[in-house]
Amino acid sequence: MTIWGALAGGLVGTVVLTSGLRIAQELGWTRMDIPLLLGTAFTENRSRANVVGYVLHFVNGLLFALAYYAVFAAVGHAGWLFGLGLGFVHALFAGGALVTVLLPAVHPRMGTPWSDAEETPLLEPPGFLLRNYGDQTAFGTLLAHLAYGAIVGGFAAHLAGWT
Amino acid sequence: MERIEGYAPIRDYAVIGDGRTCALVALDGGIDWFPVPDIDSPAVFARILDGRKGGAFELQPEEPFEVERRYQDGSNVLETTFRTASGAVRVTDALVLTDTSSLAPMRELVRRLEGVSGAVPMRWRVEPRFDFARGRTRTGTRSGRFFASWATDALSVNVWDAGDVQIDDGTVSGRFELRAGAEALIDVAVTHREPAVIPTRRNAERRLERTVRFWPEWSRHAAYEGPWRGPVVRSALVLKLLCFAPSGAIVAAPTASLPEWIGGGRNWDYRYSWVRDASWTLEALLRLGYRDEAEAYFWWFMHATRLTQPRLQILYRTDGSTRTVEQELAGLRGYRGSAPVRIGNGAVDQVQLDVYGSMLDAVCRYARETGRVDGDTGKEIGKIADYVAEHWRDRDSGIWEVRSIETHFTQSKALCWVALDRACSLAADGVIPDHRDRWRREADEIREFIDENGWDAERRSYVRAPDMPELDASLLTLNLLRYDEPGGARPNGVIEAVKRELADGPLVYRYRGEDGVAGREGAFLTCSFWLVDALARAHRIDEACELMDELVALANDVGLYAEEMDPETREFLGNFPQGLTHLALVNAAVSIEDAKAAR
Repeated sequence: MTIWGALAGGLVGTVVLTSGLRIAQELGWTRMDIPLLLGTAFTENRSRANVVGYVLHFVNGLLFALAYYAVFAAVGHAGWLFGLGLGFVHALFAGGALVTVLLPAVHPRMGTPWSDAEETPLLEPPGFLLRNYGDQTAFGTLLAHLAYGAIVGGFAAHLAGWT
Repeated sequence: MERIEGYAPIRDYAVIGDGRTCALVALDGGIDWFPVPDIDSPAVFARILDGRKGGAFELQPEEPFEVERRYQDGSNVLETTFRTASGAVRVTDALVLTDTSSLAPMRELVRRLEGVSGAVPMRWRVEPRFDFARGRTRTGTRSGRFFASWATDALSVNVWDAGDVQIDDGTVSGRFELRAGAEALIDVAVTHREPAVIPTRRNAERRLERTVRFWPEWSRHAAYEGPWRGPVVRSALVLKLLCFAPSGAIVAAPTASLPEWIGGGRNWDYRYSWVRDASWTLEALLRLGYRDEAEAYFWWFMHATRLTQPRLQILYRTDGSTRTVEQELAGLRGYRGSAPVRIGNGAVDQVQLDVYGSMLDAVCRYARETGRVDGDTGKEIGKIADYVAEHWRDRDSGIWEVRSIETHFTQSKALCWVALDRACSLAADGVIPDHRDRWRREADEIREFIDENGWDAERRSYVRAPDMPELDASLLTLNLLRYDEPGGARPNGVIEAVKRELADGPLVYRYRGEDGVAGREGAFLTCSFWLVDALARAHRIDEACELMDELVALANDVGLYAEEMDPETREFLGNFPQGLTHLALVNAAVSIEDAKAAR
């Protein structure tokens, strides 16, 4: 029941996060495109990459919701405010280590400081705090993850009966 | 070629494009116009609108040179050959087509240099200035490449065998010597709202080769075998560049604010789809056998106009939206000081009744040649014809979208007649609902109105409007759209009046009266080709051929035309290259062949 609550929150939260980042692109805040970044790790075809990327991003959203649930269960407390705090940590992790360091390390088409770009077409790396994709990227990412965390926390608390 | 305060003559430009955007390449190798990512986006290179700070991509020998250039046969890939005392270098310029099966930059400008003879010292310099130089461009290096970015736009400059890269004050440059047999490559990869793709040399060259192969394959299908095949194919290639592939829209020209008179204020943004121009382009493409482009435009048009039907807005954005707010870019000086620089287009709110005639004529031809108009679309077209029957008595701003007060332009009324006449034909063929009784009745009334108010018996010509008893070259379109029987007294009367009152050698002015805008303008090249077309349709084939030869000789070195020309200096004026001029050339050439066949 509580896991389903967290998963439902993860699903809704990922929709909000993805839509929020897309709106940030349209508003001219950022060039970050998470589905494209994820999908091009598996295929060079842009259309296929977008489809694969969206699927992966939703799977990731559910997995992170489970991680949030583990923290809620360990602490014995859930709520939108607690989720908001976890969302802040999540944003720091995503912007600081996950996308900035880990993704370039495993992404076969993304540049690193050691790339010479001669063999494979390379995607522009995100840079520290994702600044390569626009100065407002970190801000947009933070807002989107705060929303995600609050939604997961709220759903988990409501469906689990925790307060 | 000599630049005047940093500006190349408009005549000295060639255009390259990829179906999404276009760039202008000057005879001295400078790329001075490059809107990104799309043709109606702000430009990252706009030196053509400000010689000092607009931004450009320079590439030329470091010593005095002579230059010759050409498009590859049947292609929009440009080849420029620089010859110096030290040798010769050939530069191949293209906006390459995207290979969707692989990860490629969103837009990619490729310049390949080949040493032809000797050893030539070369220099290049890229100065990106996003958003018409309004954006605060941030520069740096990533993955060993020069990067420039602003907001959600970015470009990388990727250089192979073209010297050591120097980065200084927002520009990137290099110097190198190119020996015979050696090759260098400079690639500008552009992105918008997504992470940049950094190309490799091998993949950039592969995309260039693919582009080189595509264009001749496309152009060889042009269904015209007359004496002007070269100019006709070149015009078709220009029109293809004006087709915005993501939507099917057709823009009037790829540039904004090139002046209709040097130093003047008649500077407009033509990077929109005018219903009139695009309908005539559709007709020209159909006459050349290009059904795919015609079909794409037709369906885009029916979709784009859905919000305003049965009323048609005179122009739309390439994405079908209607927001084209006109604004002046005070930060740019304008081509050779021709201010203001305008983007957007304020004519969008005008009433121009002639668009209905152009549009229904194009639909009629499209339906006959493809047979692909479904029932729902037919109903929409029928409603547009009903709207014309209801509104032809309204005043309008006319084909030239004058900014003076609205009046009853004769050409607008006649094209309303054309609209109703074609609606009757479509109804007779069962394509649209049958309201022929009403449409025929209203068409007859239009003809009576024109006979009473728009015909000058003394001059033996139609006049611009009942309250403007002067001549207007757009009245030639009455001949082209068969308002009167071709070869009759009236079409010949209009031809003679235009030659007498508006022609200056082979060039023809639109009109000589006022239009609500201050300043002069040149002769309008489209009108000259209309005159050829009208002569051909009046079976005056020898005169048509003679004038056509004269006009073909007025093109620039790579076969392109601007909107207008100064009759004295032969300087190009206005936006460039102009779709209306090129489609009028195509239609004139085809009409001559049709007339010869009917002789």
